Order: sequence, then C-alpha cells, then structure tokens
Amino acid sequence: MLFFDQFKKNDPQLRLLAVLLTAGLLVLLGGLWWVQVVSGRTFQNHLEVQSYRSIRMPAVRGKILDRTGNNVLAENRPRFNLCLNWDALRGQFDSAFGRARKEAVAVQKERIASAEKALGRSLTKAERKQYVINAQQTEWLRAQARWQVATQVVAEVSQRMGAVIVVDPVKLQRAYATRLAMPYPILADLTPEQIARFEESFTNGLGADLDLQSERFYPLGTTAAHVLGYVRRDDSSEEGEESFFSYRLPDYGGISGVEGRFNDVLRGTAGMESVLVNNLGYRQSETVWSQPEPGHNVVLTLDLDIQRAAEAALLAHQGANARGAAVVMDVRTGDILAMASSPTFNPDYSQNDPARMADLILKPESNRAMQENLAPGSIFKTVVAIAALENGLNPNEVYRVQANPEDPDKGCIFVGRRKIRDTAPPGEYDFKKAFIHSSNSYFVNYGLRAGVENIVRVGREFHLGERTSLFPGHETGGNFPTLAGVQDGDWRDGDTANLCIGQGDIAVTPLQMTVLVAAIANGGYVLWPRLVQRVEPMEPGTGQGGTNYPSGQVRDRVIVHQRTLNILRDAMRADVADKNGGTGTAAAVPGLNICGKTGTAQVQDGANHLVGYNFWFSSYAPYENPRYAVVVMVQSTGKGSGGTVCAPIAHDIYEAIQRRDTAPLARSLAVRD
Amino acid sequence: MNLSYHDSSVRLDRLQLLALAGLMFIGTAFVYSATMANASAALLPWYDQSWVRQILWYAMGLAAGGVLCLVDYMILLRWSYVVYWLTILSLVAVLIPKIGSTHGWGARRWIDLGFFQFQPSEFGKLAFILAAANFLSRPLDELRQPAIFWKGMGLLFLPFVLILKEPDLGSALVLLPTGLVMMLVAGTPRRYLIRLVGIVSLLATLFVVDVFYLPKGWWQLPMQEYQRDRLAIYFGCEYTHFAPSNATPAELQRLRQKELDDAYNVRQALISVGSGGLAGKGWRQGTQNALGYLPRAVAHNDFIFSVIAEEEGFVGSVIVIALYSVVLFTGLRTAGQARDRLGKLVAVGVVTLLFSHVFINIGMNIRIMPVTGVPLPLLSYGGSSVLVSLIALGLMQNIYIHRKGY
Repeated sequence: MLFFDQFKKNDPQLRLLAVLLTAGLLVLLGGLWWVQVVSGRTFQNHLEVQSYRSIRMPAVRGKILDRTGNNVLAENRPRFNLCLNWDALRGQFDSAFGRARKEAVAVQKERIASAEKALGRSLTKAERKQYVINAQQTEWLRAQARWQVATQVVAEVSQRMGAVIVVDPVKLQRAYATRLAMPYPILADLTPEQIARFEESFTNGLGADLDLQSERFYPLGTTAAHVLGYVRRDDSSEEGEESFFSYRLPDYGGISGVEGRFNDVLRGTAGMESVLVNNLGYRQSETVWSQPEPGHNVVLTLDLDIQRAAEAALLAHQGANARGAAVVMDVRTGDILAMASSPTFNPDYSQNDPARMADLILKPESNRAMQENLAPGSIFKTVVAIAALENGLNPNEVYRVQANPEDPDKGCIFVGRRKIRDTAPPGEYDFKKAFIHSSNSYFVNYGLRAGVENIVRVGREFHLGERTSLFPGHETGGNFPTLAGVQDGDWRDGDTANLCIGQGDIAVTPLQMTVLVAAIANGGYVLWPRLVQRVEPMEPGTGQGGTNYPSGQVRDRVIVHQRTLNILRDAMRADVADKNGGTGTAAAVPGLNICGKTGTAQVQDGANHLVGYNFWFSSYAPYENPRYAVVVMVQSTGKGSGGTVCAPIAHDIYEAIQRRDTAPLARSLAVRD
Repeated sequence: MNLSYHDSSVRLDRLQLLALAGLMFIGTAFVYSATMANASAALLPWYDQSWVRQILWYAMGLAAGGVLCLVDYMILLRWSYVVYWLTILSLVAVLIPKIGSTHGWGARRWIDLGFFQFQPSEFGKLAFILAAANFLSRPLDELRQPAIFWKGMGLLFLPFVLILKEPDLGSALVLLPTGLVMMLVAGTPRRYLIRLVGIVSLLATLFVVDVFYLPKGWWQLPMQEYQRDRLAIYFGCEYTHFAPSNATPAELQRLRQKELDDAYNVRQALISVGSGGLAGKGWRQGTQNALGYLPRAVAHNDFIFSVIAEEEGFVGSVIVIALYSVVLFTGLRTAGQARDRLGKLVAVGVVTLLFSHVFINIGMNIRIMPVTGVPLPLLSYGGSSVLVSLIALGLMQNIYIHRKGY
C-alpha cells in the first residue's frame, strides 16, 4: 500500500499503529454501514413516526338529486370556523413564558433572601431546593402563559368580530397537549357577515385563521326526509381505506334512508394528508399523500312536485302529527315518484326535538310507507275479488246480505257461530255494488266459496308477505299466510273470513299495496319498485363510472284472465266515480279517471281490544291508460274510513299529477327513464 | 538544512493539505446547514453566523499553522514545557469559578476572553503531546528506568486529572491512548506498557462494575450524576438501579422519565444517521436537525456528524472517513519519515489524538461509544478545537518539510 511501503521495515510500532488505525476506521465504516444501509429503513420509520402526523381528509359527499337530476335534495355547504393557529402563537407563548419565568425567579430570589435574613445565615443547598422552580412549576408557568396569550387573542378577535367567544381553559390545554398540529376552533359556523368582517380586519397575523369544513345541507328542509334519511358525524375509516390516522377531520356517515343505504358511494374515498411537525409538535409543513375522491351523486326517481304534493296533502288533511304514508309509483316502470311518511323529521338531525323523536306513538323516524306491518282491511278485497272471479264467480250473480239483528241498518254474515258485521246495508248485491260499498258479507261469502288456498295463491303471486327490496334492511315484508299454513288443520273458516276482509293473519305495507295495485293496473306485472335511477360521478367524466339501475324490472306475472282484471278495474273506477256513492268518491278529480278501493282495518291490541284503525286508499289512474298508482294510508285512533280520511289526500295528489301532466312545459315522465 | 521558506513550500505534504481542505469545506457547509435551519440563527447578521465564524477560525488556524512551518520544529519544541505548564496553569484557572465559565452546562470548561471562549482542555491535549514528545525522545536507556516512566506518567496524569475535574470526561480520556501510543512508539519497554494497559483496564472494569452492576448498598465511586447517567445509557443500565431502596413509585417514575430524556440525544442522533440511508436526503434537507429533534445546541458541534450523515447518507459518511484516513495515514507517513524521534513522536501523538477524536465522536453517533463532549476535528463548530487541530497539523507539515533526506 501507498503508505505502508514507506514505513521502515524495522519500525514495528508504526506498523502496529497503522493496523490499529485501519481497524478502528473499519469498525466505524462497518457501524455506519449497519446503521445507514442495513437498518436505514427502520430508522426512517422511527423518523416518520416521530415527525409525521397523518390526517384523514374526508371526501366531498355526493349529492342526492330528484329524477330530473336538476333539483338538489341533499348537498354540502361550506362552514367556516374561526380557529387559533398554534404555530403562529408559538412566539407569543415563548415570550409570555419568558416574562412569567423572570417574575418567578425574582420572587424566588426574594424568598430566599428573606429566609436567609430570618435565619441570619445563608441557606444550605438542601434548604435552597425548596425555593427552586421545579419542572412541574415550569410546566404550570408554560400553561399559564399559553392561557394568557390565548385569552388575549380571543378577546382581541371577539372585539373585532363583535361576537362573544368563550374559551374553555381545560379544553384549550388539552387541545394543546393532544392536537397541537391541528387548528383549535374558537368560533364555529361563522355567518357571512362575520366572515366578511374577519377578512377585513385580520390581514395581519394575529394567530387566528378561518378553517373551512363541509357540512351536510338539505336545501328543501323536511321534503322527502324519510327517503333521504340523515347523517351523523362519523370520522371512522371505510373498509379498504387507511385505518390509522393521527387526526381525523369531521366526516359524515349515513344512518338511514338513501344516506344510509348508499353511504359507501356518497361518501367517496377519504384522502390523506401528512403534516410534518417539529420536536415540540408544532406544524411545519403539509404534504397531501392522496387526494380525497369525491363521492358519487345519487339520482332518485322521486318527482319533486308529486313528492311535495303528497307531503302537503298528508299535512293539510291530517296535521303534522298524522301517522300516515303516501306512495306514488309509475305503474309501467316501477319508479317511485313520491314516498311520504308522516310525522316527518328534519334530515338535519340536530334540528329535531329529541323528545318528539323518541315518542313511541309518533315514531317520526319510522318510514310508514314500508317499515310498519299494517292490516290492509278492505283494499285486500281486490285480491279476494281476483281469486273469486278466477274461480267461477259470476259478477252478475246476486247475493242477498241479511240484516244484522242488533243493527238492522247494517248487514252481517255468520261464519259458523261467529257473526261478522258489515258497514254496508243489507240487501241484494252483485259484484260491482258489493265492491263499491265494500260489503264484507259478499266478499266473505265468495271468498269462502273460492277457498282460502286460491286467495293465498293469488296473494303469493303478488308477493305479499315478501319484501319489495326497495330498501334492503330498511323494509318489512309484512305478513301473509302460506299455502302450507292454510292447509294444516288449524286453519278455520273464521280465519278465511277474516282474511277476506283484510284482517287477521295479514299485514302489508303501503309500498307493497302500491306494487299490487300497479300490477292490477298494468295487466298483472309485479314490478320491482325503483327509487334510485343511477349513481353518477359528481363531475361528469371524472372518477369511475356510475351505476344505472334499470327501470321496469318485472318480478313476476300474476296469472289472471284479462276479463277478470277488466271487471275489477271497472269496479274500482266505479268506487271513485259512481254517482250513487262509492266509498272513494272523495278522491275524484275532474278530467282524470281514477280507479280506487278504500279500506278501514281495525287494529287490536294483544287482548283483542280495538285500539285504532288503519285507513287506506289504494288506487291508480288514468283508467284508460294506467300510469300512476297512488296508495294512501293513515293510522288513527279516531273514527273515520278510508274514503273520508285517505281518499281526499289521494285527491290532492292526483290534482298535482294532473297539473304537472297538463302544464305547458310538462316534462314527460319517460324522458329520463 | 538551512532552507529558505520558498524552498520548503514545495516540500509540503500536499495530499494531506488537500484532505484538510476537503474537511474544512465540509465543515463550513454543514455548520451552515446545521445552524441556518434555525430561524432565529438565520436572522443574525452574516458576521455573527456560525459558518462565517467557522471560516474565520479556519483562516486563523491555517495562519497559525503556516507561521509554525516557518521555523524548524526542533527549535519550536524547545518551548514545549513552557507551553505545557502555561496550559496547566489555564486548566487550573478554569476551575476557579470567577474565571472559568460554565455556559450553563454544569461543566466549567471555558475561559471567557470576550471575543473568544477559550477552552483550555483543547489546548491541553496538544500541549501534552508536545511535552510528552520532548520527554520521551530521550535515549532509550533512560526510558527503561522506572523513575522516568513514572515521570512520564505524571506528565500524562496532571492534565488528565485537571480536565477530568472540569469535568470533561471525553477530553480527558483521549489523553490515555495518545500517551500510550507515544510511549509505545518511543520505545518504552513492553512490560511497562502491558502493566499500564492492564492497570487501566482493571480500573475501568472495576469502575464500571462498581457503578452499574454491584448490588445496592455497596460502596460506590463518587461521581457526577450526569456522568453516571451518560454511562448508564451507554451500558444499557436502568436509572432505577441508582434509586435508594425506599424510593416511592413516583420517584422511580421520575427516574425512568429522566432516563428517557437523557437517552434522547443518542436516540435522535441514531435516527438522524440511520434515516440518511445510502444516499442521504441532500444538503439542508435533513429534517431531524431542521425540526429540532436533534437538539440545536449540539447539532453544529458535537453532533455535526449526524447532520452530515443524515443529509449525505452513507456516501457522505464514507467520504468523511476517507478524508480522515488520508490525514491520519499521511500523518503516519510523516512519522515514518521524520528526521528524529522528537518529530516522529509529535506526528504519532497528533495522529493518535485525531484518530481518538474521530473514533469517539463518530462512534457516539452510532452508539458504539458513550456520549462524551468530544468534537469532531475540523468539522465541529468551535474555535479552540479548530485552532488546535490546525496548529497540530501545521506542526505535522513542519515535520514533513524537515523530514529525513531534506
């Protein structure tokens, strides 16, 4: 080697020294190789752990739109919070602490001096110790300094903003200890005037900043509340998302309705920002690792005009505390054009009165259009009618209803020993008359004659007792006997008689009844109802493509003769239009041929006491070329009937439909199908 | 041998000078990087900034070293005992509270000269080398006499004890290998050296065992708490070991917290060095220093290597070590070619001293050595250290100029 050659051969000490130096330098090189190259990654991780804080950045939540895609039902609104910016205040903290410490040291010196004076000698080291400012006191001084600076800044801000700002010292210190890399909000949700005032007066850095957050906003208030559902503050990570974050910014998670059911697509994918912090935890710089991907918009099938009309009609006729629902469906496509439930609530959930929301009778959160099991009453006679007509009932055959011995103005029928009372008078009834006066005796008689199996078979063809799958997980399937159930020995004629008048072992939802009446209207096609047309990217042409949900999906076809349907439709038409007083005449709208059936089901408690009624009106229109199925249901403890309570509500809805279809610029329903 | 200045300049050890220039360049660049990351330091006027001052010290050191090259080292070294005793005087003076300054660090190491914080221990190391070289360059026969050996020991232990008293354990410790190697090269009989090494190792072992591994209640060497703590961290011994047996849980907790805090520098230095990886993050891109994880007070002096290693990676580390190797081995060559034993001993002393500094300082950055306040020659910020290093290397050049055959 270059150097070694020059050492004299007889100089072993220098050679030894050279070897030692070489060994030492090789040890250093080896150590550095180990630390920097072999374990480099480990230390890189240590460094990241101690100097990076990851922040979950929620994505912009998708909008919920009506069927035109133009009217917004749910969107986001910017919300400005006024925040303290820790980094900017750091210098002030330090100088305030410096002053406080100086004072403390002066006090300490004074106390030592006075103690020495009292003792007449200088203090020993141990005695001095009790006067020395210890670490705990230093920390306390720091906290005091922070509080002093923060209150000063807050007072300044509050004076300039003309708003009273209250800061909680405990929360402030905790935020300093745990969320130093994040701004600390002192005034939430600034009004536009406050924002303007802030922008004018805070051009110089005072240590306060505006912080922008996104807030869920429902521009139409309570409209379609049950369909939309609501969101709740939820910052947690979605599946497949980074799950560890140092901090999370406010985000929302859908709880019910479309917000809940389509939460995944509405919410988008959160992004991640990493903040570099210094050794004290103050924020130094930010890097966005992944941008949040905005959520998709959900386009509903709801027609805003009809939806509003349905809600207004429920409110106008039955008041805000009415327990009812109205569903409007396109009988050709299965599109839900309106789905209203009452009492309603505000999707901006914090605006609701918690006591009212918790009311066990009102249950405002319950979507009565599909979440409650309800006895259908006489509207189920449409099914009995089909079963009877298909099994040989001659509609012109006259049945004589006997008078009720205890109430001679009304009819009745005896099934075995049991008497079933009628609301219709005694006398002679053919099919049409029995239908429009909703004669219990007639339908019990012919229902029994057709046999319960046939009734159940037809009911099952309409998929009663099964969910419509409109809202998986948010829907009840109702209750309906099975063939096996009625064939076993326990099923009695009395049970069949009850079933014929829509009582007893049967429960439905307004949504199911809408699908059913739509099938009568469209020639027997049981449709899958559709509430969401499509899910689409927020900005067309960005992100992944959306999903289209096809309309007019046929679930099943009821095997029924056209003649039977015609007889039934004529009878339904007469129920609304008959001059001699059908039960549903209150629904009639001039210029629109409405076909309907009223119902009034008794609701009994566990001890068979009458506790209330379910009033129904099940209908479609127009008669000639059916397009709309409208079902209205109201739960009540008071007297009334489907014809007096629900038909007027349906009337208002049909008027709105008529207005909409005859308006000069009427949009065809089919345009966006 | 009556050569003019002009002639001698062509016989300089250019390779060594080149390596020194490289080190000084790196020193300036990284003192800049280490201090400019601090916002308040960056606001100082340019003439008050550390990197400018460092350049100033380099210039002064080069000038001093250059001047020393003008006179034959044999003439210069006649003054070595004078220098030695003057330094001993300053080492005594620094211990006197009114003269010595602590800079708030607990150790009394500095004499405040207004423009310059004079650090006697740095000069003490060089003064010891000069005096020892002078002492050991006597005829070999005399070195065999025990009286001479013990005198030599005295020469070593006087500054050793005084520096230890400051306390500055690191600076005191580097005197040991320096003295030992010089004695070895001078030709002190093997048996003395072996005995010396044996005794020193035995004492060191006993010391470590006494402090850390004996059960409580046994006699323990009195020691400054912070020194014991530093060693405890190095030996991986828990602080709670030192707690009195009746310590409350709160006290034990306090000790554990203190241990964590004290280990902080070492841990952060290690993270800095390790996170540099192979290629480093780039000049002034290191976050450990910029964000204050590596304490600002030490980043530009004792822990400058962490900054270099983080920003330039393993490549930078290799370059630094390569430059030091060039300086050290050219120094050894100078020793081999020295005209007489005096020159050889000075060269060997300087080489060993530099090597000890480099090894201890870089070693503590990667946790193979305990943390002691030993600067990295020419790279760490600091007037005394830079001046002494450059003066020592000036002497080295002097010896090279007047080497055998010239």
